[in-house]
Order: sequence, then structure tokens, then C-alpha cells
Amino acid sequence: MSKLKLATVWLDGCSGCHMSLLDLDEGILTVAQQADLVYSPLVEGAVSSQEDLSKLQTIRARTRLLVSLGDCAVTANVPAMRNTIPVQKLLQFIYVAGADVHPAVPTQGVPALLPQARPLHDYVKVDYYLPGCPPRPDAILALLSALLEGRAPKMPAVKFG
Amino acid sequence: MSRIEDIGIFNAMREAGLAKVLPAMPRIAVGMGTCGRGNGAEGVYQALAHAIDRDGLDIQLAAVGCFGACSEEPLVNVWLPGQPMVILRRVQASDVERILTDLSRGRITPDLAWCKIEEWDHITAHLRYGVGFPELPLWSELPFFSGQKKIVLRNCGLIAPDDIDEYIAVGGYQALYKVLIDSKPESVIEQIKASKLRGRGGAGYATGIKWEFLAKAKDDRKYIICNADEGDPGAYMNRNEIESDPHGLLEGMIIGGYVTGASQGIVYVRHEYPLAVHKLTRALEQAREYGILGANILGRPFHFDIDMVEGAGAFVCGEETALIASLEGFSGRPRPRPPYPAQKGLAGKPTNINNVETWYNIAPIVLKGPAWFTEIGSTKSAGTKVFSLVGKVQNTGLVEMPLGTPLTKFVYDIGGGAAQGRTVKAVQTGGPSGGCIPHEMFDTPVDYETLGQLGSIMGSGGMVVMDEDNCMVDIARYFIEFTHSESCGKCVPCRVGLDQALEILNGFTKGTGTVAQLTLLNELGRMIRDTSLCGLGQTAPNPVLTTMRHFRHEFDDHIIARRCRAGVCHSLALSPCENSCPLHMNIPRFLDLLKEGRVDDAFEAVFLDNPLPASTGRVCQHPCDDRCRRQTVDAPVNMREVHRFIADAVLLTDRFEPLAARIAARKKAPTGKSVAVVGAGPTGLTAAFYLALLGHEVTVFENKAEAGGMLRYAIPEYRLPKRVLAQEVELIRRLGVKFQFGAGVGSAVTLNELDEGFDAVFLAIGTWKESWVYLPGTELKGVLPALPFLESVATGTNPALGRRMTVIGGGNAAVDSARTAVRMGMEATIVYRRERKDMPAIKEEVDAAEQEGVKFLFLAAPHRIVGDARGNVKALEIAKTRLGQYDASGRRKPVVTAEIVRLDCDAVVLAVGETVDLDFARASGLTLHEAGTFVVDRFTMETSRPNFFAGGDAISGASNVSNAMGFGKKAARKIDERLMGVKRFAGISGGFEYSMEPPETTSTSPRHRSAELTSAVRVKGEDEVMVGLTEADAADEACRCLRCDIRG
Amino acid sequence: MPQKKISIRIDGVLVATLEGTTILEAARDAGRRVPSLCHMDGLKDVGACRLCIVALPNGRLVPACTTPVQEGLAVITNSPEIAAYRRMIVELLLVERNHVCSVCVSNGHCELQSLASSLGVNSVRFRYHYPILPLDLSQERFVLDHNRCILCSRCIRVCAEVEGAHVWDMMGRGIHSRVIGELDKPWGEAASCTNCGKCVQACPTGAMAEKGWAVEEMVKRTAQVAGAAFRKGVSL
Repeated sequence: MSKLKLATVWLDGCSGCHMSLLDLDEGILTVAQQADLVYSPLVEGAVSSQEDLSKLQTIRARTRLLVSLGDCAVTANVPAMRNTIPVQKLLQFIYVAGADVHPAVPTQGVPALLPQARPLHDYVKVDYYLPGCPPRPDAILALLSALLEGRAPKMPAVKFG
Repeated sequence: MSRIEDIGIFNAMREAGLAKVLPAMPRIAVGMGTCGRGNGAEGVYQALAHAIDRDGLDIQLAAVGCFGACSEEPLVNVWLPGQPMVILRRVQASDVERILTDLSRGRITPDLAWCKIEEWDHITAHLRYGVGFPELPLWSELPFFSGQKKIVLRNCGLIAPDDIDEYIAVGGYQALYKVLIDSKPESVIEQIKASKLRGRGGAGYATGIKWEFLAKAKDDRKYIICNADEGDPGAYMNRNEIESDPHGLLEGMIIGGYVTGASQGIVYVRHEYPLAVHKLTRALEQAREYGILGANILGRPFHFDIDMVEGAGAFVCGEETALIASLEGFSGRPRPRPPYPAQKGLAGKPTNINNVETWYNIAPIVLKGPAWFTEIGSTKSAGTKVFSLVGKVQNTGLVEMPLGTPLTKFVYDIGGGAAQGRTVKAVQTGGPSGGCIPHEMFDTPVDYETLGQLGSIMGSGGMVVMDEDNCMVDIARYFIEFTHSESCGKCVPCRVGLDQALEILNGFTKGTGTVAQLTLLNELGRMIRDTSLCGLGQTAPNPVLTTMRHFRHEFDDHIIARRCRAGVCHSLALSPCENSCPLHMNIPRFLDLLKEGRVDDAFEAVFLDNPLPASTGRVCQHPCDDRCRRQTVDAPVNMREVHRFIADAVLLTDRFEPLAARIAARKKAPTGKSVAVVGAGPTGLTAAFYLALLGHEVTVFENKAEAGGMLRYAIPEYRLPKRVLAQEVELIRRLGVKFQFGAGVGSAVTLNELDEGFDAVFLAIGTWKESWVYLPGTELKGVLPALPFLESVATGTNPALGRRMTVIGGGNAAVDSARTAVRMGMEATIVYRRERKDMPAIKEEVDAAEQEGVKFLFLAAPHRIVGDARGNVKALEIAKTRLGQYDASGRRKPVVTAEIVRLDCDAVVLAVGETVDLDFARASGLTLHEAGTFVVDRFTMETSRPNFFAGGDAISGASNVSNAMGFGKKAARKIDERLMGVKRFAGISGGFEYSMEPPETTSTSPRHRSAELTSAVRVKGEDEVMVGLTEADAADEACRCLRCDIRG
Repeated sequence: MPQKKISIRIDGVLVATLEGTTILEAARDAGRRVPSLCHMDGLKDVGACRLCIVALPNGRLVPACTTPVQEGLAVITNSPEIAAYRRMIVELLLVERNHVCSVCVSNGHCELQSLASSLGVNSVRFRYHYPILPLDLSQERFVLDHNRCILCSRCIRVCAEVEGAHVWDMMGRGIHSRVIGELDKPWGEAASCTNCGKCVQACPTGAMAEKGWAVEEMVKRTAQVAGAAFRKGVSL
């Protein structure tokens, strides 16, 4: 039997959730034995840009189980703090008013921002949620082990936020 | 005027008052409620005052309140001593001179006279006006007033609200006098309890029990409050009651104050009711002047006064604890109960709050006794209730009916049903706190319990009638928007819950909703209902929960199909006409292309929307006409005739070849998928056309010899020439559709063979089995169903049926049969059990039949067919029917009477409907409905068998051409989606540039109609009756379009 | 007048309590966990958050904080339905304003946050609102961040009932309700404010906080304020 494929992706977040994943210590070895780490279905970060959105949709289309990992993915968290400000005003403030050199809003080679940063489940069906900023390593391990063994995970009571 | 100190003064005042109400001279009273004023009553009053003054006439002029018939305002009562009082309706200032001239001759202006009142039961007194004017109906004989029992509205529109004398004249304050002189407070409370009077504000709590709480509460100060903070959209009964009869309210409250031991009353009335405030202020002044309010009321040792407080218009202040907070000067936010107001109310003192209407019931109960009251209404809900009947009914207004009256009575008898050509869909009761009751449940008695069981409430009595132009999702959204903006914000479920509910519902109406949200909304609604702090939140989800319960299919339409049938939700429809068209033709597009003179483009656009444009241009039921907004200007755009013109301009000319090539060139690259279509009727042809256009290999199996189905074999030549249809079929064939005629599925080819040979199978077998009625004599020679009759004529084998034909039925097949018989030289009579307006046939066809000499016998049901000795038809016996109760379709059910009429004839055609061929359907092994139609998923058109789809009459039962084609089009889209895994349909009919600028002017011409052959010419042959629009008329008709599709 | 002793049933268990007690008090005295947000010991109850709903035998839900006990009363403090409703209420509070726990002074000490965790909220099914709301930094010692306010009105009540200053009140209605100082003045300009900070200590979230604390550092001293309220006998 071929190994299950596990993947992770990082949208608009700080990589802290991935740090937490790496923080599984020896647990990560067990996971590595059970699964091939390819690209996704653990998704960290909120959906902030056009690229995030298309990545997320691709992930959803190619994945059986999708886990929303960490507060940014679950609630949009810190990336959502920009949501009350219109995108253009925001870019102007940062790249023009706040720039020391070359004041201009970058357009080439960077994905366009969506009007708001939103949690994953506003766009696609999410199968499991693991909130936390970042989620506790033991909670990640518990969830992963259960999923890899084909069990329905018993979601631990986690700190929301 | 002096204070009333004893019975002598009281009686003298009553006599004096009677001389005002029934003076020795003519009296003219103008209905001056808000609704009357809104329709010009002030102008009428001033004109009357001016003329009476100018001519020095001996006429008493009075300003009275409203009699309830809002749709007939302004109302004017005219009384000549000794005569009945006559109500004039829709009176304008310009009518005044005529009215006075007529009156001087002892006449009533006939065109304004509506009804008369010979005597009136004020409950507290009985007035006799007089007898006469036999030509006028009594008020109670008018449908609008039939069954009404005016207790609360006993004085409204008859006495002057500004004059306490008139109130006293009709028995006012007698109940108070009786209570103060004769009764113990406890016995009055017992009477109210025994009367089973329940709070009329909505919750329906027993009034007597509430009073008892207050009476037993021991405190130095106690309050009674009248809740006149009426804020439901569409409800205005309290406003009218106070405007028309303020003393009736005061009397109830003073009695309440006396028996509960309260010393102060407060009327909390909406600031937005200025006239009510004015009338009440004046009534309070007069009552104090007469010693009816204040110290030593009516000379007894009882002190009581009433204050009026104007509320600032917050809906939540109708909730009693919020109302109390508002009276105390705090912002109107409810407080938790317990403690209840009867324990700790206004300023912490025991308080009782009743609705306006509750107070109006007190004096009648005191005078007439509880037994009288409980005889009215139903067992659990005694008495009457005033409703404001508004919305999509012909008669609107205030209606007071005994509780327990069924909804049908309100909607159809009193309201007069929907406007012509429409059907009532639902009634919303109880305003934003109530729910929607679907028309299937109109036999529901209107009382507290039954409405509650249906998820609605009685509420304060709003009753909004809705027809098919109302979108139930939008209705739910509207009411949530209302409660959302009126929520006080104190408790979380109401404040945030309604906000989220509104967001979800907004998404539904914009076409962005999901099925998961529907489930969430249901759970959210139940949570808000079960956990909110006050009545506002607890009832706010009712409109959503009831519409989701009773109109789930409309929610599904919005969420899954992204369609709003009613055409209310703008984002979900291009224009009203497009939305009403079963084929969703882009009507504004072809009208504009024709307007620009681009006939070829117009043809291509029309054909891509509707592959039988010439046939449907002749025989479609044109639902677009009913929705066209141009009809608010003059008459709807004749869209059907325009697309017929465009189609004829190409199909029957040398433009055919190049255009057929153009359309064939749009065919998508071959997909390698094959589809079998069973049935070459309109449904099958439509599906075949689109599937071929999408690049699939399509084979149509048809057991008859030619394509067209009912269009070919049932619709007569004079309505649809065969060559027109043949040309359309030819164009469909040019796309590569293969036809196998004489190939009956089930006989020539089996379903299993189709399953093996094709990637998908579409069943469009229609309804070719004629319904049969159980009627003695159907075995006789000369009795035949409509379809075989029409088919034999269509195939050229004219049957010999004698000289006189009787057709039973009211649909298009009946009319077609009769008109065909006329062309065969027969006399034809159509027998129909309902009335002409109820006939399902196209109205123009019925008119044409009549012109051609077809006779009609309405309200007649077949009884038996009589034969002669040789077994031939000799006569049809029919039973006359009369109209009974309204059925679910909003039409009155014909009830057979004992009166039998004999109609001599040689042939009887039964045109009573068609059904699916049950033998085939059963043999197919597919899941069926009881009627034999295939069960399909409403959104995907899939049957119970994989890869098998069905559509048309075979799933809906016998319908019409455009509905059938609509199914065919939708099925093609769904089959393509299933075969290809992507949505490709939307793009196939695009690619036309046309003006999207709003037209600066539109044609001012009236609706252009097709010329037609005279009836004398047309009965002589099979020539097409309707000639079609001329080129100039068609172009001008296109210029009549208002372009509702352009927005923003 | 001494209060009468009565007995009631909470989740089937017979509990002795005093007449005039609320269901919430009786349940907590009996060791049952009934969640609440707008309730604070010592303050008058308003029944606004609806988290403390409990079921009567007929299925009707009543708020435990404002419903007095009666002899023979029986209530159920939790059921699948009640749990689902409570969870939904917390979800609604989370989407109403901008709660970003990871940058909040009260992170880890927030009543809303811990309720969300204990009620099993691991995601929110509603659409986040992201309203534009002001932050009031005008006061010398304290901040008021409307983004984190849940409109429980504990600050309003503690100020009016315990401190006696009545600086705070609620303006607007429905979803637009907002806590205001005096007649919508910046806090720093509210002359009636005594700088006592009771409102801050009463606030269940990070909406009111002392200045100078970083993320996770603001620990509220609600119990002390409640003690002061009891000494004043406010809720009696």
C-alpha cells in the first residue's frame, strides 16, 4: 500500500504554525514514516491575495481532507486587521507615504490583494479546524496521527485565539 | 357645558347628542381619518362647508372617522331624515355641487352611492336611520363587509370623534356609569374573565387575569397603560380606532382604572400618528370638562386621570418593559421579566398594559355581558379582531371579523381575491413578528392557537396578501431587515443574530448563498427565537422560519438554481420578461437588434434562445405579457408577435440558407459523446438542438412519422401551419441531429439498448394518453377524446361526426377542437364547469372561437351522454353548477346542482386533459409520481436511473409548449454538465453587440396587434388566422420596450 | 426578614437554596458550571448575553441570571440544544467586532476567549464583520478599544452601581450600539470619571485595559471589584 500523502501550505501567515509543526520533536519522525510529505492539505494563513485563493482552490480540488491550521487560517486573525482599510489606501500608505526610496505601489510580479483577508472556509469546504496562534504541537500531532491512521480525530479543547 | 353629576344630567346630554347624530335636517358626514385625508377628504369637506355656507343650506356637516374601506376612500355619509344613511364612495371635491343639488331634490347621486345603512348596532345603543332607496344594497350585502361584526369599530366612521356628545348619544359612557353606580370592581373583573377576552396586542394573554393581578397588588400608586405604539409595517387599526372614536378607548381605560384600583392611566401613542394624537388630546379635554376624568368622576368618589405620552417611534417600545423604560425617560430597551409589570412596572409600581383594541372591548362586555361576547368567535378565542387587510387583493381596508374565521373568507370573499390573471400565494399575518401562511392552508381559522401552530402569530392584526409577484425569500429578508434595524441591541441573539441572518438572506437574494447557509440560517433562527430577551427577538425569526418551512422551494431556487421566479431579486434576473419566459429568452436583446434593423442578427439571437421561435411565436401562452413593465404605461410589448415576425422573416424566405449555415457554424467541436433523445416534441427538439450545438452526437427517437409532437399533431393548421414547423425542424436537423421516426421506445428500441448505445438518454415522451371521465355513455359512437380527434384532422383523415359537436373542457385542446369542428362545417358548443374567466385556454383563442360562432355553456358539468338505438350519440345531459368555496388555486369550486339540461348533439369530444402513457412509464422501471410522471431531481433533471434524464410534460404533467421547451433547454444544459464536467452552456448564445444605453425615447404607439382573417373567411378553410405583424409594426413594437435589462 | 429555605432540582439533583436567589447563583453554589458573560457577582443582572440559558421541564429556555428560584423548580443546565445555542452565541460575538486574540492585552485572561474554548468553538460559521470602530486613548491611565467590546454593560453597571459615577452608558441601537462616556465624550474629557478603574477590572475582554501592558499581560481583578460591590450591597 502506498503511503498517504501529506502536504502543507502557507498562505498569508507568519510561518509560526509551521514552526509549531516542526516542534513535534520526535513525533515528526512517526508522521514521516506514515506519510509522504508532498504539498498540502494543512493550510496555514488567511486568504489575502488572488494567489492565495487560487492556491487554496487547487489544494481543495486535489485533497481529500483539508485542515485549517492556526488562527490565521481559521479566523484570518492578524492579516484581517487590515480589513477595515480599503486596499488602495493601504498600499498607498505603506508603499508611497511610508516609503523611504522608490515610492510606488508594486504591481509587477506580485499577486493582487483581495479586498479583505478571509478565513479559508469562506471560500472552500474545510474538514478540520485546528485553531491556536500557533496551535500547540501536541494538538497538531494528535490530529495528524488520527488522520493518518484513518480515525476521526477527537478534537482537543484548544485555546481559541 | 356642565359636569355630569347624576343620571338626569346624563340622560339630558344623551338626548342632546342624539339631536346631533340624527338631526331634523339632512346630515353629511365626511370620513376624515388619515386614509380619507390622504385621498382628498379635506378638500371635499371644505367644498361642502363652502357651498353650505354660501347657499345658506340647512344641512348639518360633520367630520367623522373612517368606516374601514380604504380602497374606496374618501367616503361620505349622506342622511336625509327618515331615510337610510347612504355611503358615497370615491368622492372628490368636484362632486360636491352635484351631491348638494341631488340632495336638495331628495335624491342621492347614483354614480357615487355605494351602499346604505338602515339601522346600526352601536352595541351600546341601536340607531334607526330609516328605510328606503330599494335600488341600493345594504352595507352588509357588499362582499367587503360580509360577515364583519363591528364591536371595536362600532362607532368608527359614524360619529364625530371631536364631539363627546355624539359618543354619549350612541350609548357612550353608559358602561362606565353602570360600573361606577352598580358594580363592585371584583364582579367586573369576573365578567371580563368570563368573557375570555384576550389581549389584542398579539400575545393573547387573558385580560381578566391580568387585571386581577393588578387589582390584588397592594401599593399606594398603580398604573394602567394603553399601548398605542403600533409599528408593524402594514398595520394601522389602532391609529384608525383612536382617530375615529377616541372616547371608546378612554371609557375602557377608566373602567379598567376603577376596577383595578389604579389612579393614573397613560396612553403611549406613536408620535407618527399626529391625527390620533390630536383627537385624543381633544377627547381628554372634553372628558375632563364633563367630569368623566379627574376627581369625582360622574359624581362618584373615584379619581382617575389619563395622560398621553408620545413615543418616538421605536418598534421595540411596543414591548411592555421597553415601553415602561421609555416612559421613565430611559432609552427603550426591554428589561427581563420577572419581575412582571403587575409586580414592578412603571416607576417600580404595579402596572397593567393593554393594547388599544383590548380597551375598546371593555364597554361592550360590561353592558352586554360575557355570554354575549363568548358567543362571538371561536371557543378559545372569543370576540372579534380588527385586521388591516392589505397587499395583493382587490379590496383593502380595516376588517373586523369574529375570531376563528377562515383565511379564505378574508382573502377571497372580503378581499375579492387577487387581481385578474394572478393567484394569491400566501398571507403574512402578524407583521414582522408573524409568519407566512401558504394558500394551501387558507382554510385555517384565524385564532391565536391555530396561527401559532403554523409558526405565525395573530399579532396586532396585520394581514398582508401576496401573489406570485412576491418573492418569499425577499419577504423574509425584508422583515429581518426591519427587525434588524429595530433591535435595541441589548441581547446578543437579537443584536448579532439578526445581523447575521440579514447578511445570509441578502446573499440569497443576490445569488451568492449556499445550502450550508440555509441550514445555518434555520439553526440561527431557532436560536434567536428560543433565547432572545424580549418578544421582538423571540418572534423576529418567524417570517424566516415559516417561509423556509412553507416555501423551501423558493429558497432552493435562489440558492441552487440562482433564480427568483417572482422576478423581485434583481441580481437573479435579466429583466422581468426574461425571468418569466420558461426558455429565458433574452427578449430585450432581440428587440434591440430588430430596432437597429439587424434582422439577421435578431434571428440568430432568437433561434439560439429558442429553437422553435415561429411556432412559439404563434401558440405560446406568453407569460411575458403579464410581467412587462410597459403595461404600467399602456399595454405590454407584444414580444411574442415580434419574435414570430423575426422568425418568419427568415424561415420562410431566401435568408434561410445563409442563416442556417451561420447557426450551424456555431456548433462546438465534437465531444465524442452521444445522447439519445426520446420524443420529437417541443421538449425533445429543444434538448436535441442545444446538445448538438454543444458538439454532442444526438439521435432523436420518435414513434410518429414526423417531428413536432403536439405542435404537429394537436395544434390545428389555422393556428400553426405545418410548413412553418417543418422549417424549424429542418434547421435543427442542419446541426446534425439525427431522427429515427416510427421508432417507438419500448417497442422498436428498448431502454437498455439506449443505455448501452449512448452516454446519456433524455426522455421527453410527453403526455399522449387522454384523461377519461367516468361518465355514463362514453362507450357510444361519436364520443372521442380531443387528442385523437385533432390528430386525425392533422393527418388529413377527417372523421365524419355529424352536424353538432359538444366539447367538454376549458383548455386549449377544447377550444382547438371546437374551432376545428366549425371548420368542418359543424356547430360546436363548449361546456365548462367553471366561469369563462377561469378557463385555462389562451384568452385570445377563446375570443376567436366566439367570433367564429362557437357557443359556450359555463357552469355546466357533464352528467351523462345519451345514445340512440344504434349506439350513436344523441345528446349530452349536463348538470348546472354553482360556485362554492375557493379552492387552492384561488378559483371557486363548482358544485353540481340538481338542475339538468339536455343538449342535443351528434358528437362529444372530451378535452379534459392528458396524462403520461402509464404503460410505458411503468415498464421503464424508473421511479414515478402517483400521476405517472417521472420523478426527477428538480435541479439536475436526473431520473432514478443513472444517465437517464427526463423533462417536459413527462415530468410536469400536461402543460404548454414553452414550459415543455424550458425543460428541454435546462435538460440539455444539465446533461452537458454531467457529460463534460464543466459548465459550458452560458457561452453558447452570446456574441452580439447591441445598445446597452437606456433609450432616450420609446415609441408612444399603443400595442401593435397582428392582423387577422375575418371570421367569415377563416371558418371556410384552414388558412392561418393570425397574419402576423407587418415589418413597420414589428419595428415600432420593438421601440416600445422600456429596456428594464439596463440598470445602474 | 430572613429568607425562606426552599429546595429545587438542578440537573436532577436536589439542591437547598434560599428564596429570592437566582437560578445562576443556586446552580453555581451547587457546583454546576453555567457559563455567563454579562453577569458579574455584585452587579444587578440584565440578562443580555443569554449564555446562562437553562431549560425548564416544559423545554422553555430561561436566563439563569435573572430568573428567581421557586419551591419545586427543576432546571437542566446543559443539553445538546443548549450547548449548540451557547456555542452559536459565542460565535456571533466573535464575528460582531474585531477580536484578534494574538495581539490582545487580555489574551489568555479573556472571558470570551476561554468561553469559546470551553464551549468547543474551533471555527466560526458566520461571516466576520470587520466593522470600523474607534480606539479611545484619551484617558491618562486606561484605554477603551471598541473592537474588543461585547456590549455586556458590566462597565456601565459597575460605574453606576458601585462607584456611583455613571460615566458610561449605551448609545445607538441594534448592531450599532456602542458604549459611550458621558454624552459621547472622549474618556479623557469625561469630567465625571473618578479614575477608579473599576470599569477596566469589570471588563471581561480586552476592550478596557490599563495602559502600559503588552499582549497577554493584562490580568483583570474582577473579584476585588465584586467584593467592593457586595460590601455596598448593590445587587440586593
